[in-house]
Amino acid sequence: MPNFHRKLERSAIGFVLAIVGVSAIGGFVEIAPLFTIHETVEQAPDMRVYTPLEVAGRNIYIREGCYACHSQMIRTLRDEVERYGPFSLAVESQYDHPMLWGSKRTGPDLARVGGKYSDAWQVAHLINPRDVVPQSVMPRYAWLKRNGLKTDDLGLHLAAQRRVGVPYTDDMIANAGADAYGQANPDSPYASGVTARYGEATNVRAFDGSAGRLTEMDALVAYLQVLGRLTDAAQKTAAAQE
Amino acid sequence: MGTEHRDPVTGRMTTGHEWNGIEELNTPVPRFVLFFLAVTTLFAIIYWIFMPAWPLFSTYTKGILGFDQREVVTRQVQEAAAARAGWMDKIANKSFAEIAGDEALMRHVRETGPTLFADNCAVCHGVKGTGGPGFPNLTAGAWLWGGDPETIAQTIRAGINSTDGGTRVSQMLAFGRDGILTSDQVNSVAAYVRSLSGQPLNASEQARLPAGKEVFKANCVSCHGENGKGIRDVGAPDLTDPHWIYGGDAQSVYTTIYGGRQGHMPHWQGRLSPADIKLLTLYVGTLGQDGSLGKDGSLGKDASLGKDASLGQDASLAEDASLGKNGTGGGGKP
Amino acid sequence: MVSGLTVSERRLALVIAGLIAVCGLAMAIVGRNDLIGAHGFIVLAFSLGVIALVATRYLDPEPPEDRLSQYYDDPTKAGIVLAMIWAVIGMFFGVWVAALLAWPDLTFDAAWASFGRLRPVHTSGVIFGFGGNALIATSLHVLQRTSRARLPDQFSPWFVLIGYNLFCVLAASGYFMGVTQSKEYAEPEWYADLWLVIVWVVYFLIYIRTLQRRKEPHIYVANWYYMAFILVVAILHIVNNLAVPVSLGHAKSYSLFSGVQDAMTQWWYGHNAVAFFLTAGFLGMMYYYLPKRAGRPIFSYRLSIISFWGITFMYMWAGSHHLHYTALPQWVQTLGMTFSIVLLVPSWASAGNALATLNGAWHKVRDDATLRFMMVAAVFYGLSTFEGSFMAIRAVNSLSHYTDWTIGHVHAGALGWVAMITFGSLYALVPWMWKQERIYSPALVEVHFWLALIGTIIYVFAMWNSGIIQGLMWRTYNDSGTLAYSFIDSLVAMRPYYIARTVGGLFFFAGAVVASYNIWMTIRMSRRAEAAGRDTVDVPASAALVPGE
Ligand code: HEC
Ligand code: HEC
Ligand code: HEC
Ligand code: HEM
Ligand code: HEM
Ligand SMILES: [Ca+2]
Ligand SMILES: [Ca+2]
Ligand SMILES: [Cu+2]
Repeated sequence: MPNFHRKLERSAIGFVLAIVGVSAIGGFVEIAPLFTIHETVEQAPDMRVYTPLEVAGRNIYIREGCYACHSQMIRTLRDEVERYGPFSLAVESQYDHPMLWGSKRTGPDLARVGGKYSDAWQVAHLINPRDVVPQSVMPRYAWLKRNGLKTDDLGLHLAAQRRVGVPYTDDMIANAGADAYGQANPDSPYASGVTARYGEATNVRAFDGSAGRLTEMDALVAYLQVLGRLTDAAQKTAAAQE
Repeated sequence: MGTEHRDPVTGRMTTGHEWNGIEELNTPVPRFVLFFLAVTTLFAIIYWIFMPAWPLFSTYTKGILGFDQREVVTRQVQEAAAARAGWMDKIANKSFAEIAGDEALMRHVRETGPTLFADNCAVCHGVKGTGGPGFPNLTAGAWLWGGDPETIAQTIRAGINSTDGGTRVSQMLAFGRDGILTSDQVNSVAAYVRSLSGQPLNASEQARLPAGKEVFKANCVSCHGENGKGIRDVGAPDLTDPHWIYGGDAQSVYTTIYGGRQGHMPHWQGRLSPADIKLLTLYVGTLGQDGSLGKDGSLGKDASLGKDASLGQDASLAEDASLGKNGTGGGGKP
Repeated sequence: MVSGLTVSERRLALVIAGLIAVCGLAMAIVGRNDLIGAHGFIVLAFSLGVIALVATRYLDPEPPEDRLSQYYDDPTKAGIVLAMIWAVIGMFFGVWVAALLAWPDLTFDAAWASFGRLRPVHTSGVIFGFGGNALIATSLHVLQRTSRARLPDQFSPWFVLIGYNLFCVLAASGYFMGVTQSKEYAEPEWYADLWLVIVWVVYFLIYIRTLQRRKEPHIYVANWYYMAFILVVAILHIVNNLAVPVSLGHAKSYSLFSGVQDAMTQWWYGHNAVAFFLTAGFLGMMYYYLPKRAGRPIFSYRLSIISFWGITFMYMWAGSHHLHYTALPQWVQTLGMTFSIVLLVPSWASAGNALATLNGAWHKVRDDATLRFMMVAAVFYGLSTFEGSFMAIRAVNSLSHYTDWTIGHVHAGALGWVAMITFGSLYALVPWMWKQERIYSPALVEVHFWLALIGTIIYVFAMWNSGIIQGLMWRTYNDSGTLAYSFIDSLVAMRPYYIARTVGGLFFFAGAVVASYNIWMTIRMSRRAEAAGRDTVDVPASAALVPGE
């Protein structure tokens, strides 16, 4: 071996090629089959896509770095299932570009937080967590309620997501801005289009507590309220195995 | 460039190369390094044989144990449920009175309740159940819908103004914003409302009392009752006791009457099991009462209070409920 | 520094900086309705600054011909200064971030100061700002010395160093504004990612061109590691950052991967960012400065071979240990776990090789804080890799994952290994670079050593405690068979440890400030000596360089 290596050490190009070759194997063997082994991602025909408002909310979640403290991945461990609910399935983040599984739980897991609390609570909590949970160390996000939501380019966001594989229709892309407004303004004429395009299960409410102006708070709360509710697959798996 | 020579400290030969003064010894790889490499590799190979390990284009090696993390956790959760079944089933099947009378079962309630409550309810109602602005105190006995266990359980199951089909529905109208009352009238009735619970009023509030009383009679009694003691059928709170959801100071009361209120309590069926909901009901019952619950087979003093509707006493009950806050009871962990 | 460039190099610098300025302007215009516009202005201002710097010295006399007979160390010197600046910035934010978890209202209700935005400023600041600059600076130094060849030209190292720092500025300023891809350690958005690819290719070319022209027949071990660092980081960076931008006028992009494939790609990246950025690169550093400072030969050449190829091969399989028990198929978790365990052997082999190299020099370790930094670094390297392999075991990870234990492990590696080996190497390198007999104050090096060691120990112990308590509280059952503690219970239990961690961090941060002062004073010593026309101590190595390269 030392002799072979002595030769290798004398060739810069040879060494470079050796490093690339040796290091490429592991990633290839672990990543490529995730695309070819079909059982990797479960089938869930009821899986729906995020609405434009939820997409905007998700982007705010990313922007604020919520993932630094919150996981969205309930592991296959008894205590996690008993505390947070059925373990997360791969299909649930099928349309998450990128995924937000997280690696640290300074705060609780959020994979099933959708519907767990009221909109009003979410708003109060985001404005100042310590108003509602005195023990909390979560930052305040009061500016979300002050900032208006930018909707004019949401169509471009959906189109970009379609390019990476999320099945948005032309109709969804064309109406993205209006749908975002309608979802947070149930009494407006835009509301009906949201359920028509995204399904009856879609939450259509004044998420931040006041209709009219669309705020970043509307978007983030809409996103939080849909976590774990894009498909019933996980609930079904849990029930079927009971 | 160097030459091979013996290093005086270790007695080893160098390799004969030198880079800006750095040389290397030609020390052979210590045996134990190779040994550990062999041991860890062997461990890996054995592990691969037993466990799912290697990908094969459209499937993978399953390992001879046929191990699957999802099946394992499902089984563990089932086994744990079976281990709890001894008392959980009793909670699920017995009546509240029976459970409350069974000290052994109540021990499980007091042990399980705090975590279940803190993980699901505390963000709104507080770790000790004492509530906060916008979220009612569950230890005060000042119930919106009634304090008997079945009523509480129903509230937890279906929620209030929730998205559940069977939800309780309640709403306090936006008298000011919707133009039902003028701002002046709102101020007057607010003063009157504050007088009901015996709060000190300033001179201008005193002056408004007669007008406020009229407004109250005309607009509020349908929900809050003749003397403001609330009507539990519509979830309208008692305005004569010292407990407030949204605050009893002049500003808060004005805001409530002007803008209306519609508290939202989520529903828990579907998320929590029926037994868990019952357990929480019992636990909520223990919150204000430092564990005296159940002695007489009822849900404690409050439930009996509810029956004779002697609400005045209810308020005094709240005083000893504050014991719970001080940690002398309240079902919290020691 | 500009005066060290030839006129044609100065011209090239102006042209390239001008092109980048144009790119910045284009970004500012196309992205005027988006945060990318703000980044356009930053790029523009940055390149105008570079242009101004070059232009004011444009007419300086050309450097003498004999420069080619000496190593080209100006970029290294600048890289050392930049590394120290980033160290202070990154660790300052580390302390702030730590304090936020004990006193969450230290944000002044400002968006930019909230935990989620400051945390990546800290991680990128220390890893890329501090670590990256230190790696570039030392690698260029080591490369020339161990190849006995001058850098191939004088422009490209500046392009790499300054371009890399532009990337760091874009990264950090982006987080403050909320520009992030959310992929840990790869947070910068698509345009910054693309820019880094260009910078990195040039970096690689410098390396390979210099190696090609080396005067030594063999490539030294330090360069194996630096090469692996450059090559593998390139592969990782390109694959993990594949994304489709919303438009050319948008900072936001959507990752090509989603869900489980994205998770695996991200942690293949994330783990190997640790392996090849925070490990391989710094091993390269250690392989030069430690034997140099100790004046001892490397303990075993054969062990070097085993550990190098073991690390290069096996690390790449280990990323899935970040995803145990998740929705990632279990077979991948198995591979991640088993390879992580085998990986301990080459890791300890390199730590052992370093420590055994000190045989015959332990008296120096006792007296010389600089060498002690390196020794302690090797110990922490061994410790954190052991801990890592241990945490990679599924059963252990079921407890440690998501908790502060991971944070403790990270900082055992980051403070104990990465930062200590860097400080040790820089203390050795600075006097050579500025041609001084010794650092300004060896006593302050001693002070720094103890500040760093105490800080690390407080930090790591606090996090081990909090992490294990957290993990245990989450999974403890009471006699009834139900969960004994709520999440809020665990949160309350963390507070004393978060305070302790902040204190430990303050120690470590204070050490970095002391180091910056010491290095700065050494530079001033050198300036004063030059001004006084006194002879400076020459680098002992440069005599060996063959002129004209
Ligand atoms: C510093 C860490 C931190 C950051 C950053 C953070 N959180 Fe939290 N979060 C917490 C902690 C701790 C809790 C638990 C205490 C509480 O409820 O406030 C929590 C609780 C929550 C909860 C309630 C979860 C439950 O089931 O009780 C939600 C929802 C939430 N956070 C959302 C967010 C969102 C959205 C963001 C970003 C805009 C965010 N968090 C950022 C630490 C954080
Ligand atoms: C999102 C906030 C929120 C959460 C979480 C929550 N509640 Fe409530 N709860 C409320 C609000 C708000 C009300 C009062 C509704 C109203 O104002 O009409 C309420 C009312 C109640 C009542 C009725 C009180 C009465 O006077 O009749 C009970 C009992 C109750 N909650 C128990 C629970 C339990 C048990 C849990 C956990 C399983 C829980 N709550 C979780 C917000 C919440
Ligand atoms: C349609 C029924 C209804 C009418 C009419 C009504 N209320 Fe209410 N009121 C409620 C309900 C229901 C609540 C509880 C709302 C909640 O908890 O979210 C409430 C709450 C209140 C509160 C807040 C109590 C607290 O604990 O913070 C005040 C004060 C109040 N009402 C005053 C009035 C006054 C004054 C009027 C007449 C001008 C009035 N209400 C008329 C249903 C009504
Ligand atoms: C002054 C010293 C430092 C302090 C006080 C400090 C503090 C912190 C804090 C508070 C966090 C966030 C932990 C959490 O989310 O719970 C963190 C994360 C991190 N720090 Fe530091 N840090 C310091 C130095 C360093 C150095 C020198 C490095 C690297 C060279 C480093 C690398 C990291 C990394 C990689 C993370 C992310 C860990 C993860 O996501 O698991 N830190 N640090
Ligand atoms: C044999 C070597 C090592 C192995 C097997 C290893 C293994 C691990 C494991 C199992 C985790 C926890 C993953 C999780 O549960 O989320 C982890 C996290 C981490 N390790 Fe190591 N480790 C090693 C060496 C190092 C070294 C030397 C460093 C240097 C700084 C380091 C830095 C990190 C960082 C930054 C993280 C946090 C990643 C995140 O953001 O979640 N590791 N490592
Ligand atoms: Ca992390
Ligand atoms: Ca990136
Ligand atoms: Cu790792």
